[in-house]
Amino acid sequence: MSRDDVERDTRTRRQVLAGVGAAGAAALAGCQSTGDGEGSGDELSGTIDIAGSSTVFPLATAMSEEFKSEHGEVEFNIQSTGSGGGFANHFCPGNTDFNNASRAIREQEEQQCADNDVEPVELTVATDALTVIVNNDLDIDSITVGELRQIWAAEVETETWSDVNSDWPDEPLELYGPSDASGTYDYFIESILHAGDEEYSHLSGYSGTEQDRTIIQGVEGSENAMGYLGYAYYSTNKDRVKALAIDDGDGEPVEPSLETARSGEYTPLSRPLFTYPAKSSLTEEHVAEFARFWLENATSEELVAESVGYVPLGEDDQQEQLDALEAAIEDAGN
Amino acid sequence: MATDTTTEVAGGFGQVSRTVGQLFRYLLLAATLFGLVFVTILLVYVANDAIQPLTADPGWHLTFFLALVVPTLAAGAYVYRRDGEAFQTGALAIGLAVVSLMFSGGAAMIFADIVEPLTFLAFLVAVAVPGVVTLAVVAYDDRIPFLGQFAVTVAAFYLSLFGVPGPLGAAAGISSVVPGVFGLLAGVPLAPAPWLLAVLSVGLPLAAVGGSLVARDRGRRARLFAGAGILAVPLAGGIVGPFVGVDPLPATVVASVGFVPPIVYAANVAINVPRERVALLIPVTIIVGALVGAFAVDLAGFAGPQSWVDWAFLTASHSNTAEDAGFYPAIGGSILLMVTVAVFAFPVGVGAAVYLEEYAPDNRFTRVVDVNISNLAGVPSVVYGLLGFGLFVTYLGQPDGTVLLGGLTLGLLILPIVIISAREAIRSVPEEQRAASYGMGATKWQTVKNVVLPRSFSGILTGTILALGRAIGETAPLIMIGAPNVTYSLPTSFSEAASAMPLQVYAWSSLYAGPNFYNKVVPAGVVVLVAVLLAMNSIAIVLRNKYQVGD
Amino acid sequence: MSGDSLEEALTTRTANAPPELLSRSFFFVCAALSIATTIGLIVLLTTEAAKFFSFSAPLVGVTGETASVVEFLTGTNWGPTEGNFGVLSLVSATLMIMIGSSLLALPLGVGTAIYLSEYASPRLRGVLKPGLEILAGIPTVVYGFFAIIYITPALQPFVPGLGTFNILSACIVVGIMIIPMVASISEDAMSAVPESLRQAGYGMGATKFEVSTGIVVPASLSGIFSSFILALSRAIGETMAVTIAAGSTAQFLNVLNPAAYTERALPMTAAMVKLVGGDVTGGGVAYRSVFAIGITLFVITLAMNVISDLVAQHYREEY
Repeated sequence: MSRDDVERDTRTRRQVLAGVGAAGAAALAGCQSTGDGEGSGDELSGTIDIAGSSTVFPLATAMSEEFKSEHGEVEFNIQSTGSGGGFANHFCPGNTDFNNASRAIREQEEQQCADNDVEPVELTVATDALTVIVNNDLDIDSITVGELRQIWAAEVETETWSDVNSDWPDEPLELYGPSDASGTYDYFIESILHAGDEEYSHLSGYSGTEQDRTIIQGVEGSENAMGYLGYAYYSTNKDRVKALAIDDGDGEPVEPSLETARSGEYTPLSRPLFTYPAKSSLTEEHVAEFARFWLENATSEELVAESVGYVPLGEDDQQEQLDALEAAIEDAGN
Repeated sequence: MATDTTTEVAGGFGQVSRTVGQLFRYLLLAATLFGLVFVTILLVYVANDAIQPLTADPGWHLTFFLALVVPTLAAGAYVYRRDGEAFQTGALAIGLAVVSLMFSGGAAMIFADIVEPLTFLAFLVAVAVPGVVTLAVVAYDDRIPFLGQFAVTVAAFYLSLFGVPGPLGAAAGISSVVPGVFGLLAGVPLAPAPWLLAVLSVGLPLAAVGGSLVARDRGRRARLFAGAGILAVPLAGGIVGPFVGVDPLPATVVASVGFVPPIVYAANVAINVPRERVALLIPVTIIVGALVGAFAVDLAGFAGPQSWVDWAFLTASHSNTAEDAGFYPAIGGSILLMVTVAVFAFPVGVGAAVYLEEYAPDNRFTRVVDVNISNLAGVPSVVYGLLGFGLFVTYLGQPDGTVLLGGLTLGLLILPIVIISAREAIRSVPEEQRAASYGMGATKWQTVKNVVLPRSFSGILTGTILALGRAIGETAPLIMIGAPNVTYSLPTSFSEAASAMPLQVYAWSSLYAGPNFYNKVVPAGVVVLVAVLLAMNSIAIVLRNKYQVGD
Repeated sequence: MSGDSLEEALTTRTANAPPELLSRSFFFVCAALSIATTIGLIVLLTTEAAKFFSFSAPLVGVTGETASVVEFLTGTNWGPTEGNFGVLSLVSATLMIMIGSSLLALPLGVGTAIYLSEYASPRLRGVLKPGLEILAGIPTVVYGFFAIIYITPALQPFVPGLGTFNILSACIVVGIMIIPMVASISEDAMSAVPESLRQAGYGMGATKFEVSTGIVVPASLSGIFSSFILALSRAIGETMAVTIAAGSTAQFLNVLNPAAYTERALPMTAAMVKLVGGDVTGGGVAYRSVFAIGITLFVITLAMNVISDLVAQHYREEY
């Protein structure tokens, strides 16, 4: 039931209750629940248990919410357990229908699943990409992973741009990024700072913020600024700041774009996000239908990019994944 | 040691300084108030974020100030000056009204979404029938040996709940031949409307208790009338409900659980304690003031605060958009968890306490148990979570995150607390009362049953409620056992996964770091969670105060 | 325990009647369940932790190998994904939480106890004690949320270099949380000091201040000390508040350096929650390290409870 409807027909009652206080209002909490079942005329019902990566978790809940608005009788239990924890403790023992993962399933995990007769079906649902941005007026177009590490590592003393690369201006660095509460921050540490032989920690002398908007603003406003943020937010602000091409050590910098992120060329700052339905669960109509629904909506800018902040699938990839899913469903049915 | 200090004190004789003493006193007072004030400030902040009182029209505030706050203060002051005890009674009445309204919401939730009223009624009857049989057997024929009585009791319960041959037969592969009372009733094809059943199953017992309380000094007839009068409240709820836009079933339950207790309390004061009748001025002023205020505000068109703790928040489930996110499945999950924990921890905890206080010989085993319980009370909750997961999921192969699993894990967690508080309550029963019981030839079990447990019951209850509060506030064990962060509806059985209020708050604050989730939705959840816990704690504290006075 | 001889004499005859046997065995089973819980805990933690330490194949999802017990207990680098299982960095964070919160809670708790037992009128005590109980009854997840959303931003202007996650605000909320524990146990000990001792002090001409600090506090020292240990053990085991407020970066910090308290850190309990719910879990055996931390935590808190018991018993002043 939509919030507006509820508000309209409960307004007068709410105001009466307001006098009794919030506690009193809580009293009537249960009253409307019976009117819940939005009959949409289909017979899909059952429970879908999902566990796994906390990175994919917001996407999974967004999809399930959307799915539930069409199929009110299907119940969801969604847990954020980490990709590996999800496989080891929930999916492979056969307790969940889907496992989300921010990396592909590992061999040992497949082995564990096979031991329990659980067969995972790999579906790519989105791409997570980070973009390193600088001011439009700064005369730099690409950066290597090593240079990024040097700038953002707490262990390395870096004052000016020229400390990193002598071709760069002798100006002090000004850094913007997501706060340490964000998943983007963790991913940056994992892919840049922990990627080398030595593990660096993220420096704390930068402007950390919860709001992507502030990062863009900060970099836009200062010529010597650098920042990083999720690709989805950058893509809607392309004219305000400049994205750096990333050189992962092979001497060929790659520009961030939907194509390079999807194709996997844009390393190490992009990674595909997966969900793994169990083949045996796909025999159940509601599970199969939800998997289809997820893939059909995986290209949606609104659901994937705006609400969760990931790069949606391309049309071709979507078709490929759908084909894989249909094949698995058919295979499971026999 | 004591003698040492006194000599020292004697050394300072003659130079008494008041300043040091006063300073010390105020320092101590400051230390005592520090935590309280600190947390109160934080609670005010969080309530401000969640309820946003400043978004209301000034006219709204003014109206309620004039209609509600001023008269309430005046009535309170008047009653207080007339009679301090009456003031307490009045405050208690309004507190009871708020608390029972809150819990009636939870009860309504259970009947609307989890247990069908017919199932509940069938269960009540199925328990009541063998209960009566047992009483009859015990009361009217003491020639039947104990084992015979025991067998009859067990058989009566089994047959009534499960029928012939029941789960034992099912285990042996025989299908049901005769359904029990429970199965018979729960399967009745033509049942009256659910809300009428709720009147029967919830309203009737409450009316019986209330009626005999209100008219306790009068005859059977008066009690019957009082009971009927009280039963009219849930009936009225079911009938009036649809007209104000509430389904009849939840309206009935709210009327029974939410309205009946305060009404019975008020009626009891009015009829049986004439000296404190003036106390009723307080609740009457508040209720009338609230209604008048609401009416005036509606008439003048003043907008109320744009609270995030609103109807939609309490009745909706989680959503990715902060504006639509709700707490309903989490509230329901917490209620079910609490029921499971109580069903498990209360009997076991009290049983262990009775053993340790009344039966245990003074030997090594008892001492080990004794030390062990105090150690278990100190084990971190996250370790209990590991125990729950390892024991029930890894080794017993239970599905993870279910109500049963969560309830058992939390039950183990609070068990030591229940045992310790129950022991204290049992210990406070005077030794003479036991001696008197034994002196009259009572056996140990009879003494425990007739003297020790009834005398310590309110103390045990207080400790259990406080422990239950601890249980529903716990998050870490639920994370460990894999309770879901997001579900959209209430579990309908104990083997389904359920979320819980603190877990939902944690999920929102950690997995949805958007500003609206952080600054609005999470505070709203915190306000509801804290309100429930404050309500439970205050019940426990009021109970204890009453019981200490009574002793 | 009622080893009363009169009672025994009156009940031995009926002790073996069926209802007596039945009820007694029920009560006994209930009491024995607590022993079963402990045994279950110990067996589960040791077997699972042993599996972790004795694993020989390469770890699932981990580049390195499993750690030996010695490496686990002496290593200062924690990073399960990379095969670094040094628990000391977690222990250092836990120690900091313990020290920081006790700096706040111990003086305030004892002050509260003295005030309640010596100074407060019965009426005031009737208000303050339930108030403290309510303080203890607020869920820890709420305290964690308070720390990160109100306390840290309020401290940031005054404390340079304070990040969103830091040990300082975690210490503050854990400290507030354990005040009631220190206060109530200490107050019990102080109320147990016989009135005659106080009267003796007053008789010597001592002021209330002198009686409180010179007689009551020394006489109840064992109780106060055991309340300290129990509160510290509670601070060590505290989970949600530190998980939310202290962050999730494991680093080995100098416990005695005040500046280190502005850093992020990963206490043991938070590491367990992170292993189960985070994204870096390697799965499989790396996940079992949660049991290794669990048993470390269990042993530490158990030891502290035992010490507290011993202190309370051996140094108790008998009146």
